[in-house]
Amino acid sequence: MPALLEWQRDFARAVLSVEPALVREELGITGDPGARLAIYRNNYLGNLVRALTLNFPAVQRLVGSDFFAAAAQEFISQYPPATARLDDYGQAFGQFLTHFAPAAALRYLPDVARLEWAVSRALHASEAAGLEVSGLAALDEAAMAEVRFVPQPSLTLLRLDTPADAIWRAVLDQDEAAMAAVDLSGGAVHVLIERSQGAVQVRRLTSAAWHLTQRLCAGEPLHAVLASRDELLTGDEINALLADHLAHARFIDIVVPNAEQSA
Amino acid sequence: MTSTAYQTSPIPAAAGIGLRFAHHEIVTATRPAVPWFEVHAENYFGHGKLRHILEAVRRDYPLSLHGVGLSLGSADGLDRLHLERLTALARAIEPGLISEHLSWSRAGGQYLADLLPLPMTEEALDLVCRHVQQAQDALGRAILIENPSTYLQLEHSTLPEWVFLRELAARTGCGILCDVNNIFVSASNHGWDPQQYLAGLPGAAIGEFHLAGHAVRTLEDGSLMRIDDHGAHVAPAVWALYEQALERFGPRPTLIEWDTAIPEFDVLLDEAALAAQRLRARERASHARAA
Repeated sequence: MPALLEWQRDFARAVLSVEPALVREELGITGDPGARLAIYRNNYLGNLVRALTLNFPAVQRLVGSDFFAAAAQEFISQYPPATARLDDYGQAFGQFLTHFAPAAALRYLPDVARLEWAVSRALHASEAAGLEVSGLAALDEAAMAEVRFVPQPSLTLLRLDTPADAIWRAVLDQDEAAMAAVDLSGGAVHVLIERSQGAVQVRRLTSAAWHLTQRLCAGEPLHAVLASRDELLTGDEINALLADHLAHARFIDIVVPNAEQSA
Repeated sequence: MTSTAYQTSPIPAAAGIGLRFAHHEIVTATRPAVPWFEVHAENYFGHGKLRHILEAVRRDYPLSLHGVGLSLGSADGLDRLHLERLTALARAIEPGLISEHLSWSRAGGQYLADLLPLPMTEEALDLVCRHVQQAQDALGRAILIENPSTYLQLEHSTLPEWVFLRELAARTGCGILCDVNNIFVSASNHGWDPQQYLAGLPGAAIGEFHLAGHAVRTLEDGSLMRIDDHGAHVAPAVWALYEQALERFGPRPTLIEWDTAIPEFDVLLDEAALAAQRLRARERASHARAA
């Protein structure tokens, strides 16, 4: 009999494989190994489908539980989880649905999944105090030009090809009128997902405000962002946008490269 | 034989309930009269709303942390990040008890999302002892290890499961979470004698009982298989075995678990009341004997 390490890898392959006959003879299972391994395989799939249902409730309601389970099982076989923290499982589900042929007619489905992943992330993210405005005010002009912002861990910015935010809200609220009013021909929407005062918020931004915020969150220096900003935003609008970000604690820290070197 | 090892535990020898997401609202809003709750640790590794709910429950009730993903039986070694997260949660919540399973769920970098069976060998015993010690060192306290439900036996096993558990407790100082439903399920699936199983466990190490429902299926080869799905009322035969375990080991914290087809909270309260009746009967019997 192989040592435990090899035995466990073989056992894992037998549980994960659709045709476990390949390895199961080596495992030393008494009785009918196929039927017994199938119980573990069913438990494995059932537990993971349940975890994905918790993380993607709107996708599940949109397609129904049978379709969802079939899609989830295909996803599980392509992207098995690496850790036992299952609230953190399913990052690639939106991308997977883009290529999942049975869902091709539901153009908005991958967007709803991407939005739900961001919502789930916002739900579970660690908490950090917002940036103190006094810290910014203390910077001199040179430092102010170089300053970069560190975003809240709960913050995600998504550009969605479909109004998936409206669909997500309507399906979870079971609001048929709102669902009927969804206009799929309206073009892309730009959303910001965050946890604010304990609750997850999904807000739409204008394309210009979203791009500026995206660049700041990606760590571009403030002056570079402002120098090449979208002409659609006036100075007043930028000030209002930054004030709104600070008021909602969307940045938790600043990095000033020169100050760090001199410190 | 009665134990004194866990009398200082803040988890009382009363009938608690496994708290699931579906009942967060009713529990935080109505604060039902439940002596203690147990939660699956991995569900609260994140922050935000769920963690706040757990903290609120912890303020009002004794709380037990029950891990399902540490994979103490993995020959790949313990997942250090997982143990760090468990330790951080335990530090934050200060649970009355921390428990895990005699099983494995990780191999080759993949998480297998179930409690998989270990060969009952000296090699596996050495490995699980090492990992339990590592976990206890990190957590700074003894943990309880739960006997699993299993659906297959292995030709290379050399130790009965109860001997494995007894050795594990003796070598590491860990306690035993005696899942009565799992003993019944595994004994039925493999033709073991559940009385022999109970008799083989060291009474002083028993720190908690679990009770749950299970399903019954017939396999293609005609054999009957009981599946521990936590999706039904506790079976009458499991209640009987629980009474025998109480008789043998004395009252211990006892948990009602229900994880699939989760019913209304009242159903769990009723189920816990059935366990509480039996705990009280056992208390009365021991007082009568002492008098």
